[in-house]
Amino acid sequence: MRRGMVIDLEKCIGCRSCAVACKQHNAQPAGNWWNRVVTPGSDQHQTAPEKGREYFLPIHCQHCQNAPCEKVCPVGATFRADDGTILVDYERCIGCRYCMAACPYGVRQFNWEDPEQAMSRYHYQDGYAFGNPREYRYQGRLVYAPVRTKGIVEKCHFCVHYLDQGLDPACVRGCPGKARTVGDLDDPDSVVSRLIRDKNGFQLLPEKGTRPNVYYLPPKRKEA
Amino acid sequence: MKLERRDFLKLGLAATALSALDLRFLRPVDGARAAASAPLEQVIRSTCSPNCTGACGFMAQVNDGRITTLIQSADYPEAEYNPRGCLRGLSMMNLIYGKDRLKYPLIRTGPRGSGEFRKATWDEALDYTAARLKDIMAKYGSEAVAVTVQVPGTGYVQKGAFVRLAALANWSIHHGYDQNGDLPMFWPMTFGVQTEELESLEWPNARYTMVFGSNIIQTRLPDAKQLIEAKKRGKLVVFDPDFCATSAKADEWVALKPDSDAAMGLGLARVIIDRNLYDAAFLRDFTDMPLLVRRDTGKRLRAGEVKALAAAAAAVKVPEYRDQFVFLNGSGPALLNPEDLGPIDARLDAEATVDLADGTRVEVETVFRALKRWLADYSLERVAELTEVPAEQIQRIAIEAATSKPLHVIYGASNYQWYHGDLKGRALALLPVLTGNIGASGAGISTYAGQYRIRFDLDHWWLPPEGKLNWVPYLYFLQGHGKRYPEKGIKAMFGGWGNPFDQHNMANRLKDRCASGDIELVVTFDFQMTTSCQWSDVVFPAASWYENYDLTATILHPYLQLQQPAIAPLFDSRSALELARDLAKRLDPGIEKYFYPELEPRAAALKVIEDMLAKGGAETRGITLEMLKKGPVRVHSSAPGDRQIPFHEQIHDRVPFPPRSYPPPLKATARFVRSGRIEFYKDEDLFLREGEQLPCRKETFADTEYRVDPTVRDKYKLRFVTKNSLYRVHSTHSNNVWMNELQGHQPKLFLNAQDAAERRLEPGHLVEVYNNRGKTRATLVLDPGCRRGTAIFEQGWWAKYLHNESYNSLTMHWIKPLHEIYFVPGIWSPTSVWNECLVEVRRAEA
Amino acid sequence: MSTTKKIAYLVTAALMVAGFAAWGYQLKEGLVLTHMRNSYSWGLYVSTLAFFVGNAAGGLVLSSLIYLFGVKKLKPFAKIGALCAFANVTAAMFAILPDIGKPFRIHNMILHPQLLSPLVWDVAVLNLYALISLVYLYLLMLPELTGPFARIAIRVKDPEAFSETWARRLAPFSLVAAVGIHVVTAWVFSTQGSRDWWFSPALAPDFVAVALASGTALVMLAAVLVYGIRDLYRDAYRTLAVFISVAFFIHLFLMYNDMFIHLWYGAEEARETLAITLRQYLPAHLFEVLAPLAAVVALLSARVRESAAAVAASCVLLISGVLVHRFLIMPAAFDRVPLTIAPLGLQNVTWSVPIASGRYTETGDTFVTAWHYFPSAIEITIVLGVVAYMCFLVMVAIDRLPITERST
Repeated sequence: MRRGMVIDLEKCIGCRSCAVACKQHNAQPAGNWWNRVVTPGSDQHQTAPEKGREYFLPIHCQHCQNAPCEKVCPVGATFRADDGTILVDYERCIGCRYCMAACPYGVRQFNWEDPEQAMSRYHYQDGYAFGNPREYRYQGRLVYAPVRTKGIVEKCHFCVHYLDQGLDPACVRGCPGKARTVGDLDDPDSVVSRLIRDKNGFQLLPEKGTRPNVYYLPPKRKEA
Repeated sequence: MKLERRDFLKLGLAATALSALDLRFLRPVDGARAAASAPLEQVIRSTCSPNCTGACGFMAQVNDGRITTLIQSADYPEAEYNPRGCLRGLSMMNLIYGKDRLKYPLIRTGPRGSGEFRKATWDEALDYTAARLKDIMAKYGSEAVAVTVQVPGTGYVQKGAFVRLAALANWSIHHGYDQNGDLPMFWPMTFGVQTEELESLEWPNARYTMVFGSNIIQTRLPDAKQLIEAKKRGKLVVFDPDFCATSAKADEWVALKPDSDAAMGLGLARVIIDRNLYDAAFLRDFTDMPLLVRRDTGKRLRAGEVKALAAAAAAVKVPEYRDQFVFLNGSGPALLNPEDLGPIDARLDAEATVDLADGTRVEVETVFRALKRWLADYSLERVAELTEVPAEQIQRIAIEAATSKPLHVIYGASNYQWYHGDLKGRALALLPVLTGNIGASGAGISTYAGQYRIRFDLDHWWLPPEGKLNWVPYLYFLQGHGKRYPEKGIKAMFGGWGNPFDQHNMANRLKDRCASGDIELVVTFDFQMTTSCQWSDVVFPAASWYENYDLTATILHPYLQLQQPAIAPLFDSRSALELARDLAKRLDPGIEKYFYPELEPRAAALKVIEDMLAKGGAETRGITLEMLKKGPVRVHSSAPGDRQIPFHEQIHDRVPFPPRSYPPPLKATARFVRSGRIEFYKDEDLFLREGEQLPCRKETFADTEYRVDPTVRDKYKLRFVTKNSLYRVHSTHSNNVWMNELQGHQPKLFLNAQDAAERRLEPGHLVEVYNNRGKTRATLVLDPGCRRGTAIFEQGWWAKYLHNESYNSLTMHWIKPLHEIYFVPGIWSPTSVWNECLVEVRRAEA
Repeated sequence: MSTTKKIAYLVTAALMVAGFAAWGYQLKEGLVLTHMRNSYSWGLYVSTLAFFVGNAAGGLVLSSLIYLFGVKKLKPFAKIGALCAFANVTAAMFAILPDIGKPFRIHNMILHPQLLSPLVWDVAVLNLYALISLVYLYLLMLPELTGPFARIAIRVKDPEAFSETWARRLAPFSLVAAVGIHVVTAWVFSTQGSRDWWFSPALAPDFVAVALASGTALVMLAAVLVYGIRDLYRDAYRTLAVFISVAFFIHLFLMYNDMFIHLWYGAEEARETLAITLRQYLPAHLFEVLAPLAAVVALLSARVRESAAAVAASCVLLISGVLVHRFLIMPAAFDRVPLTIAPLGLQNVTWSVPIASGRYTETGDTFVTAWHYFPSAIEITIVLGVVAYMCFLVMVAIDRLPITERST
């Protein structure tokens, strides 16, 4: 069972709802975004890089099969779940940030300060905090907590904390364009495998040899 | 034992929550584990309700009385609709719990706009407001108080409470639809309705979709996927002067000159007619194309005028909103029955000479013939020149559109929010009508701006028989005069769910009139400290759509949905129903009874919903509150499967045009299409005088900017487009911390690189946009998709983000006289035209 | 105690206290006090680690030269070498501590070491090196551990012979360790395919070359400050100068050879990476090359070697150049975000994908594609504290322990 995701760039409308759903459900403080959506080639999101050409690209942890971040972590805080998801053990991370140097996609975020202090920069009323309020442990290891601690690394964890409830990640449920699909990449008949096969699914930075579990479907060619 | 109001509310909440909420929505956390570790967690489904037309179901996860997460409920019966929702709905907690949340009533202490207030209790604020209102009403008449609730669809109950109060107090009231410029005037002119549209589930049933000036990918977020599906199954052609996100998704992008869509529509129509690609049978049976027009006066021939028909005409009684027109069949002039859309054996393309009852003879032609002659001005060559689109492309698209059924035309606000927007709509309506693409699945012409739609008969709640609503177009209020304008003017503003001091402060009129004291009272009901609140004399804190009950509807889909309280109203905020009731009793104790004073506000809201459903008519037959508590419920329509397919009844059951546009009675709007058919030929005097009896192309700005000040032609060379932003719903979410973080906290102005270079401006520069009415400032972004001669600004920024210089100080409240020949609020009315604006751009001083 | 020495002690002590206090403050507030952020996640601390590791390597290479290759004239510097090795390798480990987000969890490296991680190897090998250098120093000092030091002296029949024998036996290990610590430290960087600036086979040998230059220069600096210029040591100084120069030239070759092949091939991404060092940081790059070059030219001149001050200055110049060199490990790796793509449908565009920087302000942009890093005052204070520690340790040891040769 290899949990993977397919993002259809034809259906992606660049609305950034997935980035916001992720931020919200995972209680990310000011300045940190695990998920981002960009307009390739352009300085300004949803401004075309060139007249006649525009598409959108969501990027977050690619949950690589040959993950450099997992290999460099000195304490094994970054580890691989049984389904291939790359997780971070918040209780073991020593904050050396080697994984951040190692990630070619730049998806990892660090708690440079106390996250409650970072969160206070949003000026909510009365100490309000958003996000899924329950901690989650994977095989005893703390992989999600509504409030992390300063000095540790964090990133997309494929919403491992929703897996038990049979729920898709927040970005999938939050995508109005239905551009994201999660499934078993090891099963050749799964929806995700078929999408990759039938629609020319590709990976980001294949030459880096990371073998991501996140695939993209190219936006359609215009055959006018 | 007397319960404190708070305790009562909490008990009431608990009681109604448990009784009112379906237990399905109560999901204890992980069973036993929850009992041990976490507090009871609730998941409540409500409906996200800003004026975006989304009306998306959201699940609020509530812990310890606070909303901790939001996610789409994705519970629409058709899987293709799910999940809906967007980044703004997903970040709603930022507004609910943000620093601009209004906590308690406020009464102004400093000058207007200063934001200086003192905290007050509800009683104090209500007493004060009632006293001021009574003063103004005594001095200037009750019509001097004007209410605005913005557009109805986002809250039939709560907004209805304000409308109800306005009716009982005999106040004036503005209609949000024309105030927003969302009313596309071609609809009442051509079809006799307010507006119609396909539900987005129908979009993929089209084989050819033409989008004119609507950036669906960015503005109809939850429905964008239907457009992409439509593209997959057919062809998507996007007409837009600029290359926007929707143009990027299209199969073909037609970069036509701004405001030239009337010419484009007429050019396409000409190709369709020249090549005989039109559906003659459809035109004969359902449109005014076979009707005869007098060539001497330009008026349509009435049967009573015709010698051979006068007697027969007199013998038939038709409703006063109908006329008896004439068509030609094999034997000569024939009487048209406007109350019957039966097939008629009419000659479509003909002319004749007719003997009139007064002895004279007159030359007549069919509307179709008139249209053909009219279209002589719209050859491919001329249209290509006017639209700056190659002739071959226009021709090819016309043929494709006419031969790919079903054809769906989506006509967007940025296209029709021009002075002559109605001409463009009428011209484009020719495309589906000429080809018979009306009243069928996946076919028609649709507009999707504004949640204006009242889906069933709301009069029971909105218009009590003892009340009277005095509708006044907002544009008249802004200019201070107009037809049927209150004699002594409007002196008090009482509004909710809107932010007119940013969004409707055209030419800065509103702020000027407030600063001068001309407007004597401003009362605003909102849940955040917006610019309008800052300019108010009294501010009442509102409960948000996760804090009360309401019934919502929209245009993109035909579902009725509930807003349900996930949390108690924060701080001292209350629902509109409660405010209306408490204000009512202070204005006139006799009208308190109209607001269910015996019920606690939430119970009252639920009662209102129950009654509304029971008395709503055919559309709500069999729909109950219990059903709504389980999820979205589709209103009934005359189309199969209750699909929202406009004019299905007209085409399939041959019911005459128009269908009713709630809330006015049918006769109020049916008179716009007196023939009972789709009408392209308009023969009211002003139409004839203006030369607009058929849709035509008129030169941009000639009747507005250039007429008022000819020097503008050389001074202000850029069209000012104040488009919607991805990150806001108009001005809602302007202060949303994540939305602003994603934008880099900068209001932006988009220019074509050449235009910027000519003005020696570089990306990142702080620039000032100005004209002789006002100015605003933003950071410059070069946009390769932006056409030359255009300056694009994303509207919705609160004034505090723009150094208090609002983008609307540049726009103007133009009124087209044709929009004043009738008045049905929100249906035939002067309507705002935002794009009719010229500006210049220069570097701003630091 | 001379005034100079007193001042030296005071200054280093003060800097150590300041550094420690700064670290305490940083522990409280978090690494937000540095100028690093998500896209530029390693900075002064890690480059200081590389710097100290390099210096440390030199010390024991020197010692192995004596015992393995019989370069007896360097014998007087052996103990200084071992001392410098120990001081610098411990300084390296102290330097990296402030960079750790959660230093009180450092025991996780012992409880749960992830054996594939070059950082684990580095920690292991640095600790091993510290032990070896300490043992080495002890062995070399053994014959002189008399009088008050007798209690820490192990009892052997012939301390001199014992010392010689074991120093010789240990020499190959110390050489391997010396080369090893810098190869492994290089591997921390050069195994990372995400950073083109590091991902080169040349990095490890290049690190060794630089280490040999700077480490030796450090020993030379210590020696010349302790002994001054004496006939006895002229030859030794010459040998050291030649050694440093050869090492430096080999470094230049390795560095420029790497740059050359990339520049020649002309791939845009590689050129943009190199442009950071060669264009944006040109002044620093010139310094890192020209300063040691000048130092080397100077040191090779017999005339210069007549002046202790000149020699000391040259060594300082070289070491400073190396410090800047170590700093430049970071900009070309982090200045631009790592993910660049060629957008579909556009010609000749390589585009950087913005990252959430972790820095939020109410007027600025959280998302960045570049980050121009310069250490904050806290970072500089902490690093100065570590440098002070290293100097302090060397000074105290030379003062109190039988490190230097008695004048004979």
